[in-house]
Amino acid sequence: MSRLRDLALGLSLTLAALPAAGEIAFVTCQTGDAVSVLDLDSGEERARWDVPGKPAGVAVGGGAVFTVSPDSKTVRRYALNGEVTASVVLDGGPIGTAYDARNNRLFVSDWYNARLWTLDGTTLELEAELPAGAAPAGLALSPDGRLLASAERDADRISLYDTATLALLRSVPVGTRPFGLGFAPDGRLFVGNVGSNDLSVIDPQAGEVLATVAVGERPYGVAFAAGRAFVTNQYENTLSVIALADLSPVATLDTGEYPEGIAATADGRIAVANWFDNTLSVIDAESLETVALLDTADGPRAFGAFLYDGDLP
Amino acid sequence: MNRRTLLAAGVALAMIPAAAMAHGPTRQKVTVTTEVAAEPAEVWAAIGDFQDLTWHPAVVSQSGEGGNEIDATRALYLSDQGAEGPRIDEVLYKYSDEKMSYSYRITEVAVEVLPVTNYSSHLTVMPRDGGGSVVEWRGAFYRGYPNNDPPPELNDEAAIAAVTGVYEAGLQALVERFGEPSS
Repeated sequence: MSRLRDLALGLSLTLAALPAAGEIAFVTCQTGDAVSVLDLDSGEERARWDVPGKPAGVAVGGGAVFTVSPDSKTVRRYALNGEVTASVVLDGGPIGTAYDARNNRLFVSDWYNARLWTLDGTTLELEAELPAGAAPAGLALSPDGRLLASAERDADRISLYDTATLALLRSVPVGTRPFGLGFAPDGRLFVGNVGSNDLSVIDPQAGEVLATVAVGERPYGVAFAAGRAFVTNQYENTLSVIALADLSPVATLDTGEYPEGIAATADGRIAVANWFDNTLSVIDAESLETVALLDTADGPRAFGAFLYDGDLP
Repeated sequence: MNRRTLLAAGVALAMIPAAAMAHGPTRQKVTVTTEVAAEPAEVWAAIGDFQDLTWHPAVVSQSGEGGNEIDATRALYLSDQGAEGPRIDEVLYKYSDEKMSYSYRITEVAVEVLPVTNYSSHLTVMPRDGGGSVVEWRGAFYRGYPNNDPPPELNDEAAIAAVTGVYEAGLQALVERFGEPSS
């Protein structure tokens, strides 16, 4: 798989997404036992779903929203209208999640037992367990959907899996305590290391760390737009902005308190959950201006791919 | 909560594996505010020194280095045994005289003393509408038990109760010292 092809794919996805009418954020609010359903265009909270068990992980895809509640060890599948269509209790410490649309499969990390679960994307039936390093947390799919990456916090490494065969392809040592991670549109994997306050930039095919980039304190999540990487710095109440072309620093932006989950809209906005403030910041990736500040339920984490590019039913 | 109840929180617990920075799945937050009659400058003068938390009834004495500079440290001693007794070690990571606010983290504490991990906190003095001050103390932390299925004395509720108690005791002492606003 070439970078160029990834880039072309990413570009075509972006262009295809442009005419879409809406952009909805499904924000897991952990202490509030809720998902805030926010319309990023109108700024309205369209709904607030009751989600028991302290939800943190979230994934949107396949016409559904998946939530992970670590306290009750429960994964739920919601239709976009808020109806629960499936749920499962997983014996362990479920935390992060990612949805693989190509195989209609949900991946869930087990914070306490060094493994990943794979679930059927419709029924949430348990399909398989995959070996992982200690304390797997953030999960992300590559732009072409072929690779799953898992941040293994207490193993100081990431692991890459083939989504077609579920084989563990390789593990790559990174900085200290990787937690959140994401693939850039060009296919490179960016990993936030909360212990060493930097990003590891990885070539997933070669399994090599291409660069280590200093960011702020406790980098938590990463998202990409306008040729830039955006990293939430939990302990610093800032967003590090980095140019993808040469990995140089572009800016450091102020956020709310405890910025955590972060994701990019198809039209180049960055949404950041501010955990202490109970808000979602919406930032223009080009101008770097904050264009909206939306209220959420208590304790927004939004740990995962929490945006839906479309309208609610 | 007074010093005795803070200390009484200590019970015989099996040693928790000391995996650095390991934590539970749900970060907790606590915000406690109080209003006092004195103006912000006077209140900040009394509580704005990172090297002096002895205005808090649970803190018997303390030592520290670095004044109010970033990365300054302090050790809070919660008994008359000083460094030999129960203690909390903290580091300053943000300080503003102008905003009358400082932020710090716990670097070391036994869960028998305060049942939390990964704890950070801000203390802020703000003007109150109609005169006097609002003092806000807020913290973010995980429970004392880093693993799954915590025992009751180290669960989320225990962590919230302990931190809330610390803040309330400190802020109550300020009300006693500076008085309540008259209107």
